[in-house]
Amino acid sequence: MKLPYSLFSRRAFLNSLIGGWLAALGAAFISPLVKYIVPPTREPDQVSTPLADFKDMAPHTVKGFAWGNKPGFLKKTEDGGFIAFVGVCTHLDCNVAFVAEQRRFYCACHEGWYDENGLNVAGPPPAPLRRLAVSVEGDALIIKKQG
Amino acid sequence: MNVVRAWIEERLGLRAVTHFLEKKEVPRHKHTFLYYTGSSILLFLGIQIVTGVLLAFYYQPTLAEANASVVRIMTEMPLGWLIRSVHSWSATFMIAIVFVHLLGIAFTKAYRKPREATWITGVLLLGASLAFGFTGYLLPWDELSLAATKVGTNLPKALPFVGAWLTQVMRAGEDVTGDTLSRFFIVHVSVLPLAIMAFLGVHLFLVQRHGMSGPLAEEKKNVKVPALPFWPNFVFREAAVWLVLLGVLITIAIVAAPGIGPKADMMAPAPEGIKPEWYFLFMFQTLKLFPATILGLNGELFALLLMMVGMGLIAFLPFIDNRPAERKGRIISGLAWAGLAYAVGMSIWSLL
Repeated sequence: MKLPYSLFSRRAFLNSLIGGWLAALGAAFISPLVKYIVPPTREPDQVSTPLADFKDMAPHTVKGFAWGNKPGFLKKTEDGGFIAFVGVCTHLDCNVAFVAEQRRFYCACHEGWYDENGLNVAGPPPAPLRRLAVSVEGDALIIKKQG
Repeated sequence: MNVVRAWIEERLGLRAVTHFLEKKEVPRHKHTFLYYTGSSILLFLGIQIVTGVLLAFYYQPTLAEANASVVRIMTEMPLGWLIRSVHSWSATFMIAIVFVHLLGIAFTKAYRKPREATWITGVLLLGASLAFGFTGYLLPWDELSLAATKVGTNLPKALPFVGAWLTQVMRAGEDVTGDTLSRFFIVHVSVLPLAIMAFLGVHLFLVQRHGMSGPLAEEKKNVKVPALPFWPNFVFREAAVWLVLLGVLITIAIVAAPGIGPKADMMAPAPEGIKPEWYFLFMFQTLKLFPATILGLNGELFALLLMMVGMGLIAFLPFIDNRPAERKGRIISGLAWAGLAYAVGMSIWSLL
């Protein structure tokens, strides 16, 4: 059947059809490559450390532990409990240090400060240090992602 | 001898090229010195390739060995310290002259029609050069390089939608790890060299195709500017410039060889006084000054958007300033001066 009027010429139709196939073929080849270049994340679900290593800490002191590839900090509170942070600045990802004399966390990269509870108090950090959940199970200290 | 020459000519047909070079002329005016910047960049690029290959003979891009292998290059390999020092200083010289080259072209308006594509390939070359600097900075795997790379690769994270993914692509995961090191190494020694050669090929071809850009005033009046034959006059002058630059480079490389810090520890707090390479200092200082939130927006995102706008303006300069109108030209020159003053001022501030 011959149409009296068409939006496409036959050539335009075939060109876009073949172009579409080529694009789909290209996408099929490229998508596995794009997928390959990001490895799976390696953040741990939980970290277990012997309670004995942290039991004798004085209140308001801080001790480090390994949260996967990142440094973690455990702080002993006034009432003898623990709170835990990921020791990574929320500004641009540098590792922070605990300045014991001032009871504050400090990021040397862009001079960011957090108080001992991880609250961002000075400099460019936009958010508090990330908190982790701590629980004592037998003689082990279990640190988990919060929530 | 003539038989050999004829034999080669019959097969390669190089006569066309030599004929072109014999005819090539370089305009002579008060900004002629800017023409030397291009070939000086090529000199330093050549030095980077040679010293880079030499360094790669002994460098090992692994978490366990990277820092130790650089120490080994500097302490055990004959003249290894000098090769590394030349590589490091030549990078600095190259980037510095790239900036002079870019500013010279911006001020003399040499990017205008028909040289838009030359400018854009130049911007791509600038991007590749900065990427070389950024990836190379991590390779010694010391405290400073780890902290600088963490900050640099974290920057795109503030972007909506693609930011987190971009950071993961650059880092090979969530964090800067041994995988990041392998990735930066292969990008530094393979991906970027291929890219820079491709861009450079197009750039140099276009420069020959359009000829050297002359001074605006003369070009408009259609006056023929006095010119210098490329061969041998200009080449000999370039050779003199190369020799001086080479002498300065080697001297500085000998008296001020870079050191290496302690091996990077992914668990350790960032060291005091971290700073990136000098050509990123103005961005570093900007980030330091930006507050956490501006008008409810993430301050980092704001800084990032500002930088992207700046880069976009530079990349598309020939299309923004598309007519040789004096008024527009003056605004562009003013902006270029302002940008330069900002970058220099921020860099100096960050060193105080």
